Amino acid sequence: MKHLTEEELIDHYYSEDSDKAEVEAHLRTCTPCACAYEELGKLLANVRAPEAPARDSEYGARVWQSIQRSLEPYPAKQKRKFFYFPQLAYAAACLLLLAGAFLAGRMWEHVHTRSTVAANPQQAKERVVLFVLDNHLDRSERLLVQLNHSGAEGETADLPLQAEARQLLTDNRLYRQSVAQSKDPLLNAALDHLERVLLEVANSPDELSSADIARIEQEMNTQGLLFQIRVLRTRVSEQKQNAQAIQKGAVL
Amino acid sequence: MGNDDHALIRRVLVGEKDAYGALVVRHSQAMFRVAFRITENEADAEEVVQEAFMRGYHNLGNFDARANFRTWMYRIAMNCALDVLQKRKAQTTVIIAEEYDGEETTVQLTDSAAGPDRLLLSQEVEARRQAAMEKLTATERIAFVMRHMEDRSTEEIAGALGIAPNSAKQAVFRAVQKLRQSLAPLWVRS
Repeated sequence: MKHLTEEELIDHYYSEDSDKAEVEAHLRTCTPCACAYEELGKLLANVRAPEAPARDSEYGARVWQSIQRSLEPYPAKQKRKFFYFPQLAYAAACLLLLAGAFLAGRMWEHVHTRSTVAANPQQAKERVVLFVLDNHLDRSERLLVQLNHSGAEGETADLPLQAEARQLLTDNRLYRQSVAQSKDPLLNAALDHLERVLLEVANSPDELSSADIARIEQEMNTQGLLFQIRVLRTRVSEQKQNAQAIQKGAVL
Repeated sequence: MGNDDHALIRRVLVGEKDAYGALVVRHSQAMFRVAFRITENEADAEEVVQEAFMRGYHNLGNFDARANFRTWMYRIAMNCALDVLQKRKAQTTVIIAEEYDGEETTVQLTDSAAGPDRLLLSQEVEARRQAAMEKLTATERIAFVMRHMEDRSTEEIAGALGIAPNSAKQAVFRAVQKLRQSLAPLWVRS
């Protein structure tokens, strides 16, 4: 059997050995190793630590008292940095402000763009409808005024009036269909009424006599239609102005 | 306690000097005990404690937050103790060399009689132990004190000395060997 080395014995004495049980088993069976271990233990057991003189509970406080005056407090890190580098601090603050302003601008623009874009599909459609409807009502009003004047003055209606009526008739059908779902009874009724008048004018003989015009006026109540259209024009104009104001507000 | 130490250290580093006082109060006793076991002199041990805490304060900015403050202070205290030992080493070496020559020792220790002679033997044993300790290198002495007297693990010794655990173990081994060479005849004969 291989004897334990001095290092292994020392390890075992300080319980630093990894195979403690094996070493103990060896020591039980190997007399030379057991003697060496006993001698080592006897030696180390007699090497006692010198007893340190007792220190009372105030010892630590006395140590602190004796050294604290010679110790300078650590400077607070944030204050020290600002104190030593004020220019850097100001430059950093300016950069921060600039960056903040830039980001705020970007965010504002982003939000604004989003709201405009989000509102566009509905508002843009309304603005277009109002614009073309206003234009259509304007042209229709002028046609009705001409028609009424022609009838009042006993003149014959010329071809351009009929041509205009035909063109307006086509447009009117489109607008009437467009606004049919808008739940605006006045507008629906007016356009429906206008369509019948335009149809009558457009489909009349090439030259409308004053009698024809008078008949149309009477039968179709063009005066009443003209009034309706003027009321609608006023309302549509207001709606156009409101829409434009909203658009300007969104842009700002 | 470790977390408390770290909290106190953070306070010290932001300007609360008095927080260091709490650390000093908390660890002074342990520092004194180990300083005395190394220097074996009361005044020297107190000097070591004060110097160690002063060095600790000045180097607190370099303290690794992952480390143990007491282990870190042990290491500083060891260095301070070594400085103190080196100051007096020359004188001590001369005295020991003159008093405990090998031949002379053999003659003195063969007497195991009781009474004044036994007291003299006891004094001789203690003196021999001190002489043997003086023969150790600084690393061996500290490693042995921490292992044998402070009951510190190899890892703690290695941490205090800033060496590998295996090196710490070897230092303890060499210290024991040297002590054995110096003291074994004494125990056998006495």
